[in-house]
Amino acid sequence: MNESNKWDDKKIAAVSSAAIMLGGLVYYWIGEGQSTIELLELAYGSLKLFNNPLIF
Amino acid sequence: MLGSMLSQYARTLSVAAVLLLIGIIEAFGLRDAVYGDLLPFFTWMRESSWFGVIGTTYGSIYATVEAVHLLSMAVLGGTVLATDLRLLGVIFRDVPSETLVTGTYKCFKWALFMAVLTGIFCAAGVGDKIYYMQVFWIKMLVLLTGSCFMIFIKQPFLTSRAHSEISPWTLRLLAVTSILIWFTVAATGRWIGFS
Repeated sequence: MNESNKWDDKKIAAVSSAAIMLGGLVYYWIGEGQSTIELLELAYGSLKLFNNPLIF
Repeated sequence: MLGSMLSQYARTLSVAAVLLLIGIIEAFGLRDAVYGDLLPFFTWMRESSWFGVIGTTYGSIYATVEAVHLLSMAVLGGTVLATDLRLLGVIFRDVPSETLVTGTYKCFKWALFMAVLTGIFCAAGVGDKIYYMQVFWIKMLVLLTGSCFMIFIKQPFLTSRAHSEISPWTLRLLAVTSILIWFTVAATGRWIGFS
């Protein structure tokens, strides 16, 4: 593989913007997952995905 | 010297300028200041604009336009998955990734254009509802930044050289970011529909 290590304008812009956007989106979805778990805990008392009355 | 540096690193400096602009908007609370002033526009879109009136009056027309919107998103998603999964080496391994990147781009642009056009019509029909939805604004933010990323950053970079000259990790980063961008646009779009 003839890989070029040259960091030109297009490569810097592509890598930096991709890293920032990926970080932002992962942060957003982790936050959404966290709030979903908190809602489930609020609704069921603990993180039980099935509403089994014997759990309480 | 400054002039040559500006022209040599125009894209990188544009990314830095956008980040700086976002920082200024957040630091000075400009987003909150503008948000309140946008309500009359959304109310006008639903109640007074011709597409808002058509959308709220004729359910069949709204449904038809929404179907075109969903089909456009499906085509867009198809081009994104075909290109990015190829860059990740998951599918179409017998087709050069350069061919897919250039071949699907025209289709991507038309699908994006149609999705935005029909999306404006769909948004107008529920303008006063979506204004209050945080997920709508997240979708708009990701759609805008994602489109700019695809058109001004990713595509020019991938078509500027042979992919064998690009680090595989750079290709993977671009592909995963692109997939997550359009997954977020699609997911938040459906979220609006179910809210």
